[in-house]
Amino acid sequence: MTTETRTSRAELSPKPPTKTKRSNKAKTRAVLTEFSMVAPAVLVYVGLLVVPVLFAFYYSLTDYNGFPSQTPKFVGFKNFERIFESADVKGTMVLTGIVAAVGSLLVNFAALGMALLLQKTNRFNTFGRVVMFYPHVLSMLVVGFLWAAILGPQGAVNTLREVLGQGDLPFLSDPLWALWTMVGVIVWAQFGVQLVLYLAGLQTIPAELLEAARIDGANKWQLFRSVTWPALGPTATVAIITSGISLLKTYDVVVSLTGGGPAGSTKTLAYEILSVSFPERRIGLASAESVLLIIAAAILAFTVLALRKKADEGAESV
Amino acid sequence: MRKTATISNALRISFVGLLCLAMLVPMYLLIVNSFKDQQSILSAPFELNLATATPDFLIQAWNSREFSVPFGYLITCGLVICVNIVSIGVCAPAAYVIARSPKALFRAILLFFIAGMFIPTQVILIPVIFVLRGLGLMGTFPGLVLFMASATVPFTLFVFTGFIRLLPKALDEAASMDGAGRLYTLWRIVFPLMKPIVATVFILNALGVWNDFASPQVILGPGSGLYTVTTGVYASVGQYSADYTKVFPTLLLAVVPILLIFILMQRYVMSGLAAGATKG
Repeated sequence: MTTETRTSRAELSPKPPTKTKRSNKAKTRAVLTEFSMVAPAVLVYVGLLVVPVLFAFYYSLTDYNGFPSQTPKFVGFKNFERIFESADVKGTMVLTGIVAAVGSLLVNFAALGMALLLQKTNRFNTFGRVVMFYPHVLSMLVVGFLWAAILGPQGAVNTLREVLGQGDLPFLSDPLWALWTMVGVIVWAQFGVQLVLYLAGLQTIPAELLEAARIDGANKWQLFRSVTWPALGPTATVAIITSGISLLKTYDVVVSLTGGGPAGSTKTLAYEILSVSFPERRIGLASAESVLLIIAAAILAFTVLALRKKADEGAESV
Repeated sequence: MRKTATISNALRISFVGLLCLAMLVPMYLLIVNSFKDQQSILSAPFELNLATATPDFLIQAWNSREFSVPFGYLITCGLVICVNIVSIGVCAPAAYVIARSPKALFRAILLFFIAGMFIPTQVILIPVIFVLRGLGLMGTFPGLVLFMASATVPFTLFVFTGFIRLLPKALDEAASMDGAGRLYTLWRIVFPLMKPIVATVFILNALGVWNDFASPQVILGPGSGLYTVTTGVYASVGQYSADYTKVFPTLLLAVVPILLIFILMQRYVMSGLAAGATKG
């Protein structure tokens, strides 16, 4: 809103007075200053983020093995063909998709529920928010090790079950169990962030709107269904997709919680790239896998931007 | 009416209270088991017995051969500070120019930067290795700082630009009337006004840098002799994952500083996150 009025005002403002030689020189200098102020950021960003992405695209089309002595040989889309032919890598991609989709749904479900419970600002709720959020400040690597120590065969939970006379639960040793244990740990650690977003979103709902609905006799569920949820819609879509993007890169927790096992049942794409393909010097293949992840993240990112733009336009028309 | 409200409120409070307890159980286990020997960890992990509690295992973890904890703290704190200096240092001038110039070129540059927010940084670590090797910075601290800073540049630049646009232009005009150059105006007049957003960016970047594992693991590598808290934890805990007298104390030492900082600054961390995210 504000930026638009500003730009239109800038366009309306009178053009600078006619140029003399001196002001021309000053203008060149001003432009040079501007560029020199932008240059460092562009340099760092392009050098270490954009160029590597381009490298990934390039290497994905070669058979490079990473040794400086080998010149990368162009092999076309062979790496991608290999990825889509190998059941192993396909399974990894499906698994990454499941973790991202199911994980972000669960994270958002938990976050929205907690946000509704902790909506009012008082001491107890502030304490609750802090407790719900704290796992996020821990490194996912540490979180994974901690839960591995708790849920492992000799961990606290199974010890407790033994005391109660029950058998061990295979949290990390059964392929299916391990996958859902990992998703559960991710949800435990990550939903605090989305909780903060939903709390911010809830604050933007006008109190009069809720009050009016209440006076009209709406019960709690109706209030949520027809006032709160529609108002939170844009927040929710963006929160689900952004958490999906961040879960696509799941890596640290795999390293520390399961090591990709048992039998590759928790091997995500990021883990496959960094811990399998790269150490085995299959740079071409690893790059092709990276390219697929970058494309998936880009698709999700453009969805966020498009939705956000639509939401902004919707807000302006109200 | 009043009565049902109190009942539902009591229900809500006890439900949230139970959830809070459940969220804290792993932390409780981490703390009590850092003071026990392997035998009592295995036989009674939930038990807290002050009579037999001993700080020996924490001291051993602190002096561990695989992972010298103070060294890890030092390197990680250094990283947090250097990454923030580089990131804020390059982003503030760029954001200032982008926010103040209506030129289409600068709007395009901003979009180009925003696109970078969605690059999965840990996945491009492999090509980054070749770039850093070309610069002669592979396996070094400055190389890691540069890469981590570049990863924070898109977000930092984006929120800085949004914030500067809200600052009145009259300030700059007054300064330039008084003969101040653009850099002087930026660092002496605009930047001090950016305190809230700089604090937000600093906190979020610090959290990200402190917790990152993939970048230091790949870029520093085992040969450099440098390790951060996360790679140190990986080296020592990964190796002895069955020896809980090593696992729990090491993990506790790794999380204590960041948890303390979070508890002291929780209001700023959480409001900063909300502000950053609604802007992003």
